[in-house]
Amino acid sequence: MAQDMPFLRVDGVSKTFEGDTHHGDIHVIDNVSMDVEAGEFVVYLGPSGCGKTTLMRIVGGLETATGGDIYIAGDKVTGPDRRKGMVFQAYTSFPWLTVIENIRFGTRYRDDIGEVEKQEITRHYLDLVGLADFANYYVNRISGGMRQRVAIARTLAAAPDILLMDEPFGALDAQTREFLQDQLLEINREERKTTVFVTHDVDEAVYLADRIFMFSARPATIIEEIRVGEHITGERTMETKESEAFFHLRNHVRDLMRDQARRTDEIAERELMMPAADAE
Amino acid sequence: MKFRDLFIYRGTSTSRSDAVLAVWAFVGFIGLWYAISQVEIVPQRFLPLPWRVVEALYVMLAEQNFIEDIWISVARVWSAFLMSAAMAIPIGIWMSSYRIVGALTEPIVDFIRYLPVPALVPLLIIWFGIGETSKIAVLWMGTFFQLVLLIADDAKRVQREFVETGFTLGATPRQITWHIVFRSMLPSVIDNLRITLGWCWTYIIIAEIVAANAGIGHAIWSARRFVKTPEVMAGILTVGVIGLLTDQAIRFAHRRYFRYL
Repeated sequence: MAQDMPFLRVDGVSKTFEGDTHHGDIHVIDNVSMDVEAGEFVVYLGPSGCGKTTLMRIVGGLETATGGDIYIAGDKVTGPDRRKGMVFQAYTSFPWLTVIENIRFGTRYRDDIGEVEKQEITRHYLDLVGLADFANYYVNRISGGMRQRVAIARTLAAAPDILLMDEPFGALDAQTREFLQDQLLEINREERKTTVFVTHDVDEAVYLADRIFMFSARPATIIEEIRVGEHITGERTMETKESEAFFHLRNHVRDLMRDQARRTDEIAERELMMPAADAE
Repeated sequence: MKFRDLFIYRGTSTSRSDAVLAVWAFVGFIGLWYAISQVEIVPQRFLPLPWRVVEALYVMLAEQNFIEDIWISVARVWSAFLMSAAMAIPIGIWMSSYRIVGALTEPIVDFIRYLPVPALVPLLIIWFGIGETSKIAVLWMGTFFQLVLLIADDAKRVQREFVETGFTLGATPRQITWHIVFRSMLPSVIDNLRITLGWCWTYIIIAEIVAANAGIGHAIWSARRFVKTPEVMAGILTVGVIGLLTDQAIRFAHRRYFRYL
């Protein structure tokens, strides 16, 4: 592979879901390309159903592209594996395991380290997400925010090359959400893990991202790439959200988002009308 | 907890009040039985007094070697049930893991599932004779095809994200199957096994009535020939008690083992 290849390369990816007798084919991603450097935190932002999650799943190897390729650290992505860690919106911590056992599960299929190291890593991530006091709780006894922290710790314990997060805070209340955003920034400062974070929350995107890829309504194309790091410098803290730079950038992104959300509604309306026209 | 609360539409109760009511339900049931039999609303020839049934059970156990009948039936039920479970669990999971397996087997399994088991008894006797094999075959036919679909359903209900998490943590499909899917579905598997075990008791009695030299069903059927109603009822009661005790034992183990639920 070429030496100048970036850490993550998305190369002309398209995706069409094949239709059946009732629905036509659905074109969700249209020729998207991007390069992401090692350690970068990028956010895929776009209206609901625009195809951003599908693109992230293709990056993770959980979905196959209809066209184009993905390269991570120079290797072409052909399927899911331990190098591509994923945190889902749905709670995926296993209910039959305690908090610490869940995190330890992340190391279960690693053959690069021994038992002692696995234990140390488990302990490290348990502490990193601040759940040491709840180590022996079953996960249905803890809050949704804590369950997502367990999922993040478990994913990191597997030592992936890249961290893929699909609206991980989408199901949480506003306070928990903000708290977890700060915690994620803190974890990221420590781990410097290349991250792709999917959301439709503008504030969340601007607050967390080094770079935002703003997607259009379906089929998804990149309509603007926003280098947040060039506008908001220094460490992100609660005060960042009060700053003028944040305010301006947020408003700009929000306007983009509104346009695309309107288009999404139009598409949905049109599709709802279509079967009626067929019936004539 | 007030007594009145039990009458609230979709209200709640405590396990203590439930237990008290369960005892009262049994007392009431036996009391009603006693009353009907005592005043001979139904002739005692058909509905003997409760204590006559208990007496008959004692005589059967003490003098007619009924304990061996019980043992034989229990052994038949459990060997067939375990065989059914041992086959249905891996096959059911397999059916839900690969569409090729599911699509090929589901139609056939569904068809066999609807065959009434009693109708199969004569055929199975022709095939396997009147020995133990035909008993096991009846129970197996009656439970395997039901169970395998229930298991396949349990496996399908495991969240897709659990499986995908497995992949992204580096597990192979085999590891995902046993470490995640099976473990995740286990509580509902145990529930389905418990229910299936109950059906086994229905089928074993049918099989033993049709052709057997021993077993609870055989004992019930022999007593019928001499219109020994207390013995017939004692046999039926025995099945009920065994069923209830096993069911409660499994429920208890379920609660102990799956504390996280």
